[in-house]
Amino acid sequence: MSLRSNSSSNYSKDDDRNKDTPSSPSTLDSRFNQTLKNVQGLLKGRSFPGKVLITQRSDLQDQSALQSPNNDRRFSNDDTEHRDKFDRSVEDEIQNRSKANASPSANKMKASTSSTENPSKEVQKTAIGARSTDSARLIKFQKELSGTTIILEKLRELAWSGVPPYLRPTVWRLLLGYAPSNSDRREGVLKRKRQEYLDCVAQYYDIPDIERTDEEISMLRQITVDCPRTVPDVSFFQQAEVQKSLERILYTWAIRHPASGYVQGINDLATPFLVVFLSEYLSGSIDTWSMADLSPEKISKVEADCYGCLSKLLDGMQDHYTFAQPGIQRLVFKLKELVRRIDEPVLTHMEEQGLEFLQFAFRWFNCLLIREIPFHLITRLWDTYLAEGDALPDFLVYIFASFLLTWSEKLQELEFQDMVMFLQHLPTQNWNDMDLEMVLSRAYMWHTMFNKSPSHLAG
Amino acid sequence: MARRPDEEYDYLFKAVLIGDSGVGKSNLLSRFTRNEFCLESKSTIGVEFATRTLQVEGRTVKAQIWDTAGQERYRAITSAYYRGALGALLVYDVTKPTTFENVSRWLKELRDHADSNIVIMLVGNKTDLKHLRAVATEDAQGFAEKEGLSFIETSALEAINVENAFQMILSEIYRKISKKPLSSDEPAPTNLKEGKTLVVGPQETPTKKTCCSAS
Repeated sequence: MSLRSNSSSNYSKDDDRNKDTPSSPSTLDSRFNQTLKNVQGLLKGRSFPGKVLITQRSDLQDQSALQSPNNDRRFSNDDTEHRDKFDRSVEDEIQNRSKANASPSANKMKASTSSTENPSKEVQKTAIGARSTDSARLIKFQKELSGTTIILEKLRELAWSGVPPYLRPTVWRLLLGYAPSNSDRREGVLKRKRQEYLDCVAQYYDIPDIERTDEEISMLRQITVDCPRTVPDVSFFQQAEVQKSLERILYTWAIRHPASGYVQGINDLATPFLVVFLSEYLSGSIDTWSMADLSPEKISKVEADCYGCLSKLLDGMQDHYTFAQPGIQRLVFKLKELVRRIDEPVLTHMEEQGLEFLQFAFRWFNCLLIREIPFHLITRLWDTYLAEGDALPDFLVYIFASFLLTWSEKLQELEFQDMVMFLQHLPTQNWNDMDLEMVLSRAYMWHTMFNKSPSHLAG
Repeated sequence: MARRPDEEYDYLFKAVLIGDSGVGKSNLLSRFTRNEFCLESKSTIGVEFATRTLQVEGRTVKAQIWDTAGQERYRAITSAYYRGALGALLVYDVTKPTTFENVSRWLKELRDHADSNIVIMLVGNKTDLKHLRAVATEDAQGFAEKEGLSFIETSALEAINVENAFQMILSEIYRKISKKPLSSDEPAPTNLKEGKTLVVGPQETPTKKTCCSAS
């Protein structure tokens, strides 16, 4: 089925109608419709694959049967009001952007002002993304985290749209199941796990090479080659102590997971954990952080949490890193089939040019997009990853389709060689939170639309 | 689609860069294609790709180079790119003996997965680290002769011999492709500097034209 069945001449008409139609709060109470509005707002003045489909769906908004309750799988209705605010701010942002002379900082100010109804100074200080700063959202997080037993489903709903930075360490540990949801047990369990990590380091890492097998020596060598070139564009990672910590985490993980062992790219995956758990002890910008300010005990604790969370994350993706990496190959195939479904012209063009998805998407899956977008956006992206939990591998396909189709038009202008190089060096250097929110919202929408369709992604 | 005039070329040659992790494959490629060297480069995941169009033996050749990840786990992915490659630059680090010892394993990889008539060049990189050198030029040269490979030492950092290395292998590919035997009365290619060997294996049956695309 082609999703571009409408002629392009309908684009502007549909856009105008959607723009002028006021939202009717009575029916627009699901995450789906909020996302729809959000994406429509972002799409104004842009041409985008799947746009026809989006407007078609919006025409059917009143036929609520289409939005089955299942569509609302992650988001509670009472989240809607904040989403409304966010949506308005997104539209402001986009409209400002379309003015050539509007300065980016002015846009940002406007977006953050309009998204925070009650902008207490403290809240703004911790702010990164518009959504995660919303004071009502903060209260919700605090409420969810204060119970004796945390309801993970609710926490996932909240976290999907971004976690306030200062709550990230706590929320991530919970989402990954590294910290128990029962608050009475939590500290005891964490203490035990942290000690286990230290024991492993002593047993496996802090030993002379003579006690290692040849495979272990070559794995350690590979890790020591990779640690200095991990996120090299962020100066913090050039500190020798940071690289040592990474080395211990990665080697210990590799020894404990012999089915895959260390695979290049796993070093990248440890870095979001490292910065998030270090943020419990180091304040301010990462550019000012120094490992020298931390006691060995604190460093051990941070490492242990990184190790534990990395292990949990990779438990759900074991066959991504075993021989021939079948898990990644399978997801790359699914990505291609999803793109065929969403944007057949671009897929056809890629096929005609002889471009293989493996040639660019392999790295995306292998490093979970860390290599593709600025590092300061990664923790926000991972909020959504970790909120997805066990469903993450399948949802990655939607995120990556959304990411790829950001450049649908551009791709169709390129021949094979330029296309490969474009895809391996995507112009995301100036991306901000809004660009990422756009990718995630669209991914969510497509997932809602396509995932339950029987013929979708068969095999 | 119509090709722009500046992209016209006589031949398109595909080549691969292989060798252990961290020997400098990606920087050899960036030095060759963009004249850049990045001290803060990341490891290559899977394969990466770059091209450059240049004059080889009086012909315009578009070199399409696939840079591969060095770690063994990636070989299942990267070896797929050996097929159809006319040349392979097998890189080791002159300061890391293990990377030279592993050259034999890489040769076996090529013999298992690449076309049998692929042109292979052994490249000892990082000659700028003079005080750390641990693989003697003579040893590598002897090995290359024994295996029928061309050989060169390079420094991607100091941009020494990088251009030569690619020129040599592309010329060799060109001669194979164009079925032209290397005759002694031809002027030696200007890129051959003294002291560097260009070992050309015995002329094989001319390669099929289908493996390169002429336009």
